[in-house]
Amino acid sequence: MIDTFFIAFWTVMVFASIAWYAYLLFHVGIKGSWDILRMIRALSGRPDGNQSPGPKEQ
Amino acid sequence: MLLAPIDWIIIVVYMVGCVVAGVWMRRYVRNVEDFAVAGREMDLNLGVASLAATEVGIVTVMYTAENGFKYGLAGATPGLLCCVMMLIVGITGFVIVPMRNAGVITIPELFEKRFGKQVRWLAGVVVILGGVLNMGIFLRLGGDFLMFVTGLDPTVKYHIELPGLSFNLGMLEAMMTGLLVVVLFYTVLGGMLSVLITDYLQFIVMGAGIVVTSVLVVWNVGWSNLIHGLWQAHTSGATLADTSIAGETTKIAMAHPFNPIRAFGWGWVTWQAMLSIAIVTTWQTTIARVLAARDASTAKAIYRRTSFYYVGRFGLPGIWGIGAFLYFWHQGGLPQGMGSLTAMPAFLHTILGPGLLGLMIAAMLAAEMSTDSGYLLTWATVIYNDIISPCVRKPLSPWAKLLTVRLLVLAIGLFLVFYGLWYQLPGAAWDYLAVTGNIYLASLFTLLVAGIYWRGANSWGAVAAIILGAVGPITFLVVNAIVDKADQISPEVAGWSAFGMAFAGMIVGSLVGQALGKGQPAAAKSSLPAKEQAP
Repeated sequence: MIDTFFIAFWTVMVFASIAWYAYLLFHVGIKGSWDILRMIRALSGRPDGNQSPGPKEQ
Repeated sequence: MLLAPIDWIIIVVYMVGCVVAGVWMRRYVRNVEDFAVAGREMDLNLGVASLAATEVGIVTVMYTAENGFKYGLAGATPGLLCCVMMLIVGITGFVIVPMRNAGVITIPELFEKRFGKQVRWLAGVVVILGGVLNMGIFLRLGGDFLMFVTGLDPTVKYHIELPGLSFNLGMLEAMMTGLLVVVLFYTVLGGMLSVLITDYLQFIVMGAGIVVTSVLVVWNVGWSNLIHGLWQAHTSGATLADTSIAGETTKIAMAHPFNPIRAFGWGWVTWQAMLSIAIVTTWQTTIARVLAARDASTAKAIYRRTSFYYVGRFGLPGIWGIGAFLYFWHQGGLPQGMGSLTAMPAFLHTILGPGLLGLMIAAMLAAEMSTDSGYLLTWATVIYNDIISPCVRKPLSPWAKLLTVRLLVLAIGLFLVFYGLWYQLPGAAWDYLAVTGNIYLASLFTLLVAGIYWRGANSWGAVAAIILGAVGPITFLVVNAIVDKADQISPEVAGWSAFGMAFAGMIVGSLVGQALGKGQPAAAKSSLPAKEQAP
């Protein structure tokens, strides 16, 4: 007998995934560009003598 | 001409944009921390884009579509389990909060604080063994996809004549080598900073391609037809002949397409659940985004925001694979030389028109490039940070450190070209990836959890867990490469044995170490400092 519970479940999952991917595409697409600008500003504004420390040598 | 001019324009614009953006970030790289973890300046949305782009490559699309081809919608079960585990970790901060707060670059570095230098080194070796073997099939599967989706003949070879050297170069090998060279170019120059920027571009292109292709497949097949076709294929016992391996024919029947337990069995599903929690807390390429995050709460938010992405990671290419199964089933079977992995791109070639085919190829190139760059960088960083660095007596200059990591990225790229050319998959692609990943996932997951949450854990237990955790998956790879199909070890047996032996090794080893008064390094008498403890 065809399993209606799992069919309904997977149907919701697949269509919700398409919707979620489409939403993230715009949301992360826009806000991610702001993150990039902020990161570049932070990296550019870092004076040479005040760099973040590298990994500790053993 | 297989691709229309508009397809070529989309592909070329995308490739040039990626390379320019990646190379441009080189100016901000000043030291290994910039190169490896982007100076820890990554914010939430860039983190989501990078994590999502890195964890979806052509290889991902190929094996998830193969799962759909063989198991229908139930094939998306690993994605669902990963989503649940990622959400739990994103809410609780399990493992990732103490790890981010520890301020390390790699997971093995954390182990030194708890178990000593030798454990760090050994863990680094196991990480590389599992990680690089795991990545070994990426180029081959990526090349297969591109050949079949463009409709090119994968058997075409060109005869190359050079002074003192003549050889045949296959089109597939040439294509995958070329793609890797482009990725190596910007990864070597800009490290994680280039990877983040290109990941962002690749997230956009890949996301658009996946959404458009999924909608087209559902539109083309019809959701109701897809459900009923799957059920009919399962109940009628329909089979397709896979002839992708020369001289070998494998019959593929549709398993129960909806119920994961009936499709895979409890053993496989529970192993996948265990594997999922280990992946989201231990897989170095995923953890690299945790370590690059601005702080622990950003890392947790990235996990929560990305969790549902994992359902689509398996579910959406899964329906492309289902579409391929139904299409070729109604066509009377798979063409000669085609198999469960390559049916999906061949199917997409039939339904995507000019422009859309270009977008799809650009999307998959984006997926492949972001995965390759992220993985190359991650494994090179582990080799430098945890295998080479602990053995160097005199500290290297910042310039020498950067040069070393860049050369390591190149060396791994070279290995991938040769390994990817000759290795023949013994079974399903996902099982190979899961088992090779298991080489280190089982042992390192055990070390992480015990190291952070069990004060009784010590270096004796850590060494025992690393060695025993690697034995199961390595045995699987070796045995399955030499015995007949009927005698091969199942992936769930190899996977569960790895976790079981790693847990047992940690507990028994630590207790023996305690009984003998050994195994606790002087610098790590207690577990991690308070701020690094569990939330």
